[in-house]
Amino acid sequence: MASADKPINTDVPEKDVFTLHFLQSLSNLRRQNTFNSPEKTNDRVKKIKKAAYVSMARAAGGTNRLWSRALLRRAAKENSKVVRFPRRKKRVTCLRRRRSNRRDPVEEEEAERLRNLVPGGGGMETSKLMEETAHYIKCLSMQVKVMQCLVDGLAPK
Amino acid sequence: MDNELIMNTELHPPPEIAAHFEQPSCSSPMLNWPLMNSNLSQYSPPQDCFTWEKSTEQQQKQSIFDSALSSLVSSPTPSNSNFSGGVGGGDGFVIRELIGKLGNVGNSSATPMSSPPPMMNRTTPLTEFSGDPGFAERAARFSCFGSQSFNGRTNSSLPVNNNGKIVNSGKLTRVASTPALNGFVSPMVPAGKFSRKRKSMTKGKSKENPLPTASPAPSFTKTAEEKGGKRRRREDEKEDNTKAPEPPKDYIHVRARRGQATDSHSLAERVRREKIGERMKLLEDLVPGCNKVTGKALMLDEIINYVQSLQRQVEFLSMKLSSVNDTRLDFNVDALVSKDVMIPSSSNRLHEAGLQAESLSHHSYNNNSQLHTNVSSSNMMLQSPVNSLETSTLASSFTHLPTLTQFTDSISQYQMFSQEDLQSIVGMGVAHNPNHESQNMKIEL
Repeated sequence: MASADKPINTDVPEKDVFTLHFLQSLSNLRRQNTFNSPEKTNDRVKKIKKAAYVSMARAAGGTNRLWSRALLRRAAKENSKVVRFPRRKKRVTCLRRRRSNRRDPVEEEEAERLRNLVPGGGGMETSKLMEETAHYIKCLSMQVKVMQCLVDGLAPK
Repeated sequence: MDNELIMNTELHPPPEIAAHFEQPSCSSPMLNWPLMNSNLSQYSPPQDCFTWEKSTEQQQKQSIFDSALSSLVSSPTPSNSNFSGGVGGGDGFVIRELIGKLGNVGNSSATPMSSPPPMMNRTTPLTEFSGDPGFAERAARFSCFGSQSFNGRTNSSLPVNNNGKIVNSGKLTRVASTPALNGFVSPMVPAGKFSRKRKSMTKGKSKENPLPTASPAPSFTKTAEEKGGKRRRREDEKEDNTKAPEPPKDYIHVRARRGQATDSHSLAERVRREKIGERMKLLEDLVPGCNKVTGKALMLDEIINYVQSLQRQVEFLSMKLSSVNDTRLDFNVDALVSKDVMIPSSSNRLHEAGLQAESLSHHSYNNNSQLHTNVSSSNMMLQSPVNSLETSTLASSFTHLPTLTQFTDSISQYQMFSQEDLQSIVGMGVAHNPNHESQNMKIEL
């Protein structure tokens, strides 16, 4: 029987947390006065998208999750900001690759695709990847809901 | 004369031993063996005579013994077949024959054989003795005549003893019965030990498993448990060994399952696969429409598609948002800050550069008072009680958004917000009863 680790925790905060974060980021964008200037739509879209992701990452637990950490780091790199994360006790980066036929080729192929999708998936083992994917999916769906509400609210027909 | 005396004294014990032999219990023969040993050791001096130079007396003795031993050796051979079959009965029969022969020797002692057998004959029993591995085997089997449970064990231990016997065959010539009898004793002892060993081993193995939990094993204890698992499978009865492992300390303790490979690689492999299976189940619940699909690969396909669709949705919605009239987005987010809702995050610096210092300080959500001061320091010109009320109402309006419809309603109201509007709205909200239940009504003014 597999070892029963402590139960996998994939809780995400409530919707309002996401909303708050997203609205904050949007208001910040607003304050930058970028919207008023005649920028290309693409840039604005990109900014909003990035703001959405960043706020989602922050809402979902900040640096407690691998994917959120990777996302934030990526965003910070784009802005050329220095990001410091609290140092964890465990070294998350070291991966022991045992020389056994642990890798089911079909499964690993899919896992590779998943790794490309989920931020920070490159450095994870498959089981950890699945955990992160679950949490990521939850947060993504929450964020989508929030944004949908915003759009509906702000642009009523 | 002396010889006769010796013979007479020596022959008394055998009837006693015969009496002992007839007891069916298994323990008694074991006890009798030392007795017999001590008794029959008295035979040794005469037996030793086989290799010595023979005087006439010795020749006589030898002749007597030769005849007796030849009869002895020859007699068990027909009953050899009995050995392979039943043990208890056959053995008892043979031993009775032996005793009979010994008795005959005693009987014949009084009547010395007139014709001493030729010298050649003398050697024959020796050769028969030494060269008869079957005798050694039979001698070994004699040891187990009383206890049938030793059968299996002694069968396995026989080769060892057989070899031992054959090695000792040189000594057999000099001491006819004692090495044989020693052989009798010896197979029993290792057999006994073996049985005891096996019992203790099973017990030991069963105890071994709780032990790793007690001791903080610095090494991967899987192999020890694998062996324990193997042994338990072989010796214990059929039990499904899917035990939960002991609480993990440094390493994950796994028990090998019945009928599965037990090398560490495959165990690790299995642990990993089960972990992944667990998580796949989690994901299955999250991803809609995964119930029909089974199998890891297809499931993963579904999951990947779902993630991609979600990301595309985010992009699409952000496009939509960007096209929205942006004045509506200008509302004071400071008011929306609630200390219950916000999660303190350490990555505040990632916010856009437009954040003001005060609003940065808004992100420390530990004190209500701090919140109030922050709010008051914002551009809202509201009185402090109103501030608190307002923050609480607005915050609670966010916290109490169980449904989407309520949320969208509140959002639609917020689109009117600018800093001035907020004041008015809150004023209106204060006028009404700021209950939690009537949040939406208040806001929908």
